[in-house]
Formats: sequence, structure tokens, C-alpha cells
Amino acid sequence: MTELVGTLAWVVPALPLACAAALQATRTPVQADRVNVVTAVATAAVALALSATLLARGGDAPLRGELYLVDGASGVFVGLIAVIGLCSALVSPAYLRTAGRSWFSAGRSRHWYYAALYFFWGALLAVPIAGNLALAWLLVEATTAASALLIAFTGRRHALEAGWKYLVLTTLGLSVALLGIVVLALGLSREGHQGLAALDWHALERTASGLPERPTVVAFVLILAGLATKIGWAPVHNWLPDAHSEAPAPISALLSAALLPTVVLVAWRVKATLDVAVGGGTAGALFLAFGLASLIVAIPFLWRALPWKRLLAYSSLEHMGVIALGIGFGTPLAIAGVVIHVAGHGLAKALGFYAALPLLRSDPETARRAPKGVLGPSPRTAAAMGVSLAALGGLPPSPLFVSELLILLGGIAAGETAVVAVAALALSLGFLGLLHALLEGVVGPPAERRHRPRSRTERPIAIMTAALGAGLLALTAATVLLPGSAFVDRLAGGAL
Amino acid sequence: MSSALVAAILVLGAAVIVVRRRSVAIALIAAQSFALGIGALDLASGRSDDFLVASLVLLTKAAVLPALLLVVMRRTREARLVAPAASALVRLAAVGGVALIAAALIPPLGLGDAQTEHTAVALVLIGIAIAVARRPAFMQLLGLIVAENGVSLLAISVPGGLSYVVELGALFDLALVVTVAAAFTQRIHLELGTGDTELLRGLRD
Repeated sequence: MTELVGTLAWVVPALPLACAAALQATRTPVQADRVNVVTAVATAAVALALSATLLARGGDAPLRGELYLVDGASGVFVGLIAVIGLCSALVSPAYLRTAGRSWFSAGRSRHWYYAALYFFWGALLAVPIAGNLALAWLLVEATTAASALLIAFTGRRHALEAGWKYLVLTTLGLSVALLGIVVLALGLSREGHQGLAALDWHALERTASGLPERPTVVAFVLILAGLATKIGWAPVHNWLPDAHSEAPAPISALLSAALLPTVVLVAWRVKATLDVAVGGGTAGALFLAFGLASLIVAIPFLWRALPWKRLLAYSSLEHMGVIALGIGFGTPLAIAGVVIHVAGHGLAKALGFYAALPLLRSDPETARRAPKGVLGPSPRTAAAMGVSLAALGGLPPSPLFVSELLILLGGIAAGETAVVAVAALALSLGFLGLLHALLEGVVGPPAERRHRPRSRTERPIAIMTAALGAGLLALTAATVLLPGSAFVDRLAGGAL
Repeated sequence: MSSALVAAILVLGAAVIVVRRRSVAIALIAAQSFALGIGALDLASGRSDDFLVASLVLLTKAAVLPALLLVVMRRTREARLVAPAASALVRLAAVGGVALIAAALIPPLGLGDAQTEHTAVALVLIGIAIAVARRPAFMQLLGLIVAENGVSLLAISVPGGLSYVVELGALFDLALVVTVAAAFTQRIHLELGTGDTELLRGLRD
């Protein structure tokens, strides 16, 4: 078992890089699209094999290698990134066929797109497996360059603005996080722990209690504030709505459903390892502050008639806030909620972004204004939007209904009643905002008479709705297994 | 590292927020990276692995990246200098304020050398200030490098040094980000006819 996991831990992030190289050798767009299907399925299959192996281990102790550490959380995140990456890769040919203008020359644009996509996917898959804080930082930083190119892929003015803002803000944020890591390394060095191994997750957990308190608190705050910029937690979220709305839809899905929660995982591991040195109260309070700020900042935007992808972006801000609250509460109930929320949000949000492909094709104006009455002219697109919004709003039987309930109950168990009250109010308001968007944008009267798209162009989104919708229902069914399980107890215990 | 060298690293970084000519700013960045590299080589003397890594970092930051920036500058000629958002004096005062705040607010980080600690934190803040206060995309790109040099200053001062895996990884990431940012700068110039990011303010809610 250990040998198999060790092998997979190296193969999973390396395979997308090999796939990117293979795609560069293709000669025609059709050939590239076909090879992309094969390489995406292969990458996802290997990643899902690792995920399934880790999830099957339940609450067993993490497995460690020289540079990797895999536990239950790795299983959840690798599985999620595999599914979202696969779906994004599979819908990419449909996007590229109708993308029109690109930053790159017509002959090479597909090659650049796939190279950046697979590099981004590979770096993302490596983050939950990384056994070391510095290594995790390097991987998170490595996602920046590739994803910035993808955000600005069309080369249009708005896309360049979004990509540039994302590149500058997240790079500066990650510089602050690196400063925190160096401060931490300084403290470790003073205690006689030097080199890369001193920053291993399990080594940090063992040595944290001996670290000097004030510099460690400074290090923790710097690391968390820096990662918050990449996660898009308020008040350092400025890049998030722009990047999500201007990126190609498959990339928006990867950014929102995979990148943001994956960086949250790094922040979560930092909290788990440094809790003792920083003081559980301080670390948790910072997560709660980011969580509440994100929820409160997102609500007014969820009530506004925004373009579809911008609405989804602000919904990401809200949901990253919910996840932060769950980690901040830190009780087993809240952590069970966090696990479900990460997976449920990922599936629902990705479906929403994939629905933007046929939506923008049939009504390009919705890139700059809110959609209206999509059901009449585009029933399958409307179904995808409806499933996504209902799930994101937490309408039963959405898994997010269960996860939000568990997180709030976990907050009460942690004695944070005031925070729970504010969060419950914000979540209710957010639900009403999304319900309004559902009624106006999806089932309401259309803005103007539009041509009904050919059913063939809507077939892929119908398949995606069925697949991801089934995934959401399966997740809801699985929620009964999590609270009180050894798997959750191990995650809540924070032992790495 | 000598206090004069640390002071020089700070002054060279702070000057980037003041100068208007891109060629001068590149020279300042190259000089700052060179000074940082000399400091790293000095601290790594006697440890051959660390010395090699420090030499590689010095070569990349003080020669390769400035050369790349020069190429970008030549390819994105501005008809006239981009009008600054605030006068040089105001920007200089802002930088001074940032450096003072860094010195006053940051508690001891454990290095035992307050000047290096304060300078490192101040440089990260100055890098952020450059990215916020300068309008040309090119200057904002230089802000990223100044901030990274601030982190490097503290990193090379860690007793025993950081792992070279981290140092080389961070260097690779910096080179990647600077290359992509350079590509963005060229593309923005091509799209707008100038590198003035004031014209990139169309996305609002």
C-alpha cells in the first residue's frame, strides 16, 4: 500500500506535465483536441486512483515520503481536482472552437492553451500531496503564471486587465506569505531545526510547541494574509470577480472549484501545525475574521443583477468564507461540513461555469449584463444554471445545505454563538440573492426574443448537468457517513 | 552582512518608486540584486553548496532578469513618459512612511539584527507600494522584484541558510512570473499603445 501510494504521489503531478508535452507534438487542432481527451482521462484516472486509495484508508495515519504527505484531506482534494480538471479539459475543445480571438497566433493558440491548462492542473494536483510548507508555497506560486496566461487567453482588453490584476496581486500576496515562511524558518533555525525537512508538515507539528510565540504569531499572520490573497478572502479579493468573469469558462471552473479550496487546504495545514505555537484561539479567530468578512462582502453582490460569471465569482467569495468559518470553528462537526462543502461547492460551481459556454454562445450580451429568462430559448442551459444556483444557494437536497448546517452546528459546539448568528443571517441573505437570480435569470421572462439554439449545441451541457447533478446527489447521500467518522476525527485532530 | 550594504539595498529599492525612466529603474533593480547577491556570497563563504546557489541567484537576478527587462523596454517604447499618479516627492514621502511603519510595527523576528529585519519587511512593503502607486505596467512588474528581494534579504540571513531547494524553487517561480509579466506588459502595450494601467480600469461592479 505505502509503495503504491508513494508511486502515485509522484506520478499524479508528473503525468499532466508529460501530457502537456505530448499535446505540443500534435499538428492540427482536431488532433490536439483528440489527444487532449485521452490525456485528460489518463490524468484523471491516475489521480482518482490515488484519491480512492487514500479515502479507503479512512482515519488511518497519514503516509509520508521524502517530499510528500498524503492523508484523508489529500484524498478529498486530489479527487476534486481530478474531476474538475477532467471536466474542464473535456469542455475545452468546445470553448476553443468558438473562442475567436486569442492572445496567441491562430496556429499555436491551442498548444499554448493546453500547455498552460495541463501545467496548471499538474501544479494543483501536487499541492494537496506536498509534504512540506515551502514546497506547497512553491507549487501555489507555480499555478500563478500558467493561470494568469489562461485568464488573459482571449487577449482582449478586459481579459488583460483581469489577468494582470491577478498576476500582480497574487504574486505580491505570495511574497508576503513567503516572508512569513522565512520568519518561521528563522525561529526553527534558532531551535536547531534547519534545512528543508524542518518545514515538513509533520516536523512542524512536532516542533511548533518549542517555537518563540511572538515571531511565530507574526509568521502565521504573514502566511495566512498572503495565502488569503490567493484564496480571494475579503478584504484582499479584488482580483477574484475580474479573473473569474474574464477567463475562459473551463478555466473559471478550475480557478473557483479547484484553485481556491486547494490554497485553503494549505492555510488549513498551516493552522493545524502551528496551532500550538500561535494559540488555538488566535489562529481560529483569524480564520473566523476572514470567513465573516468574505460572507458579508459577498452578500450585496449576490443581490445585484450581475453578469452570470461575475455572480458565480461573488458566490465563490461567499463559499470560501463558509469554508474559513468551518476551519476556524475546528470542531469535528464543522470539519465534516468543510469536507462536504469543498466537494459540493466544487461540483456545483464548475457546472455553473460550464453553463456559461452555451449561454454566451446563444446570447453574447450576457458577458456584460445579467441573463434573463434562459429557460424558454435554452432549456438545457437553464437546467444547468438552475441546478448550479440551487446547489450553491443550499436548497435541499443540495449537499451544501447539509454542510452549512454542520458548520453552523460545529460553531455552536465551539461556543461561537455570535459568529454563528451573523453567519446564519448572511447565508440566508445570500440564499435569497441567489434565489432571485434563479427566478429572474433562469425561469423569468426572457429579455428579448432570441433564436432557440440547436439542441445539438446544448447536448454537452445536458450531459454535464446529469453527471455533476448525480455527483451532488451522491455527495448528499454520503453526508450521513461523515459526522462522527474516524476520517473526520483525524482531520479535526489536525495530526499530520 | 554589513549595515552599509543593507542600507544600500534599501535605498536602491526605494529609489524605484521615484524614478521615471524605465532604464534607470532597471539599473536600480540590477544594482540592488547585485548588492544582495554579494551579501549572499559573503554569508555563504566556506559552504560550497550555498555559495554555488548564491552565485546562480546572483547571475539570474542581477544579469538575466535585467536583460529580459531591457528587451521588454525596447519592445514597448512609449511616445512620452506616462504621467505619474503623484509627484516624486509625494511618492518618496510615502516610501519613507512605509519604511518607518515597518520599523515601528514589526516585532523582533528572531534574527538578532534589527536593521536587516526592518529592511527586509520595508522592502516587501515598498514593492507593494510600487505596484500600487506606479501607473506603468512595467514599473508594477519591478515592484514584484523589489518585494521578492526583500524576502531574499531575510532568507539569506537565516543561520545555516534556507534549503537550496526552496531558494532555487523560489528563483524559478520568480523567473516564471517575471517572464509572464513581461509578456503581459508587451501585450498590454500592443493593445493600448501604452503601458499605462490607468487605461485598464474597465471592470467595475
